[in-house]
Amino acid sequence: MAIRDDFEVAASQVRTAVQRFALGLLVIAAFGAMLVGKADTVLVEHARVLALDLASPVLEAIARPVAAANRVIADLKEFASLREENARLREENVRLLAWQTAARRLENENERMRGLANFREGPEASFITARIVGDSVSAYVRGALLNVGRKAGVASGQAVVTGEGLAGRIAEVGENSARVLFVTDVNSRLPVLIERTRERAILAGDNSPQLRLTLLQSVAGVQRGDRIVTSGHGGSFPVGIPVGEVVETGEGSVRVRPFADFSRLEFVRVVDYGVSGLVGGGSSPAAPSAPPAGVRIR
Amino acid sequence: MRADGLLAMLDRWGRYALPGATLLFFVLLTLAPLRAPYLSGALPLLPALVVFQFSLATPERLPGPLLLVMGILLDLLLGGPGAPVGVSALGFVLIRAAVVNNRRYLVGVPFLFQWFGFCLLVLGFVVLVWFFTALWTWTAIDPLPALMQYAVVIVIYPLLAPLLARVRARDPLNVPDASRGTARPGETTS
Repeated sequence: MAIRDDFEVAASQVRTAVQRFALGLLVIAAFGAMLVGKADTVLVEHARVLALDLASPVLEAIARPVAAANRVIADLKEFASLREENARLREENVRLLAWQTAARRLENENERMRGLANFREGPEASFITARIVGDSVSAYVRGALLNVGRKAGVASGQAVVTGEGLAGRIAEVGENSARVLFVTDVNSRLPVLIERTRERAILAGDNSPQLRLTLLQSVAGVQRGDRIVTSGHGGSFPVGIPVGEVVETGEGSVRVRPFADFSRLEFVRVVDYGVSGLVGGGSSPAAPSAPPAGVRIR
Repeated sequence: MRADGLLAMLDRWGRYALPGATLLFFVLLTLAPLRAPYLSGALPLLPALVVFQFSLATPERLPGPLLLVMGILLDLLLGGPGAPVGVSALGFVLIRAAVVNNRRYLVGVPFLFQWFGFCLLVLGFVVLVWFFTALWTWTAIDPLPALMQYAVVIVIYPLLAPLLARVRARDPLNVPDASRGTARPGETTS
């Protein structure tokens, strides 16, 4: 009996030791993973893409009912303010009709001028419509997962737009999934133009709902309500996608509110501009003369 | 060893798989596009809540290596360029170790104590993730969103914890030694 007790005591001691040791091992493994991730970014990129591809079917299954529920809630909210909403829309409609007339006139005029000047148009853009199947929104990231990937023609660096304006750019691409980095993410830097003054600047995110305008020539030229559009510098973005409007001009800092409503995104469009710039990896030096077969608009 | 029927076997397997499966579900749920204000921001901390709660009840069904894998998966999915992969894994493993080593103060005590323990441990988790993310990306990250996340998950805990606690064995004596702690027969934990 005593021997057996001794044995059991010894065994339990060994077990405890192994458990202690196991914790150390696990901690070391976790640190190892972090260090590997820091040293070999390509490997981590591959692992991320693999994880995305594996998770995206599941996420898609979750996303649909969630989106439906969100829509019902939004509908209910709108129902409450139907009257005011209607009045507002009617007013806006009148205003937009006036703009439409102006736009038609300008487009005609522009076309004639271009004909006169022998102007060569930039490459045509094609759109890939995608459903947002996952949010990667945390305290550190602002982004989303899309259900389209390399198979549909999505490539890293392409612009992602909503009806209202630019949402972000493609950061990672898997076979059937892609990760968007929103313009509000702290890692997002976007070359932009101030539409009124044609002045160039960089629009930087800082994980807050608003954006920061940096590298301006002069803050004095910026006014509240100025529209900010993409400048197309850097190559991968089309020119003139609306991004946001200036809401605050202080000394040294200009805050911009993005047009895209990130809290209600469900579908987005990935713009394939047919240009592979610096961000796109530059794997195809010859600019494709024809955009890949897709839904071609304009 | 008595011969088990098919149902009993399924039951046992289910019991063993449940904590891991729940954790996996919450890891995936982190990415679900819930558009509820505040709540969607706190989603990334829910896996930590699950780890805490199951480490209280059945740590042997949530082994360290599994936590490591789940943490790395969470980091990969949550993404963000330059963010450290494996920091959640580190946090999960440490939460489990802390809970297992402090069962005396956490198992068989009033719910408020558990809540308090959860507050402390998750604060450690949030600080750890914040610290390593800041270190890895070498930027001064605004800690406010992370603290906001923390506050929300603290509030969520009393809502979610009893639900997860239903999974555990009713009587603390009915579970293996490792997870019994110092609980006495007839004591319940919530």
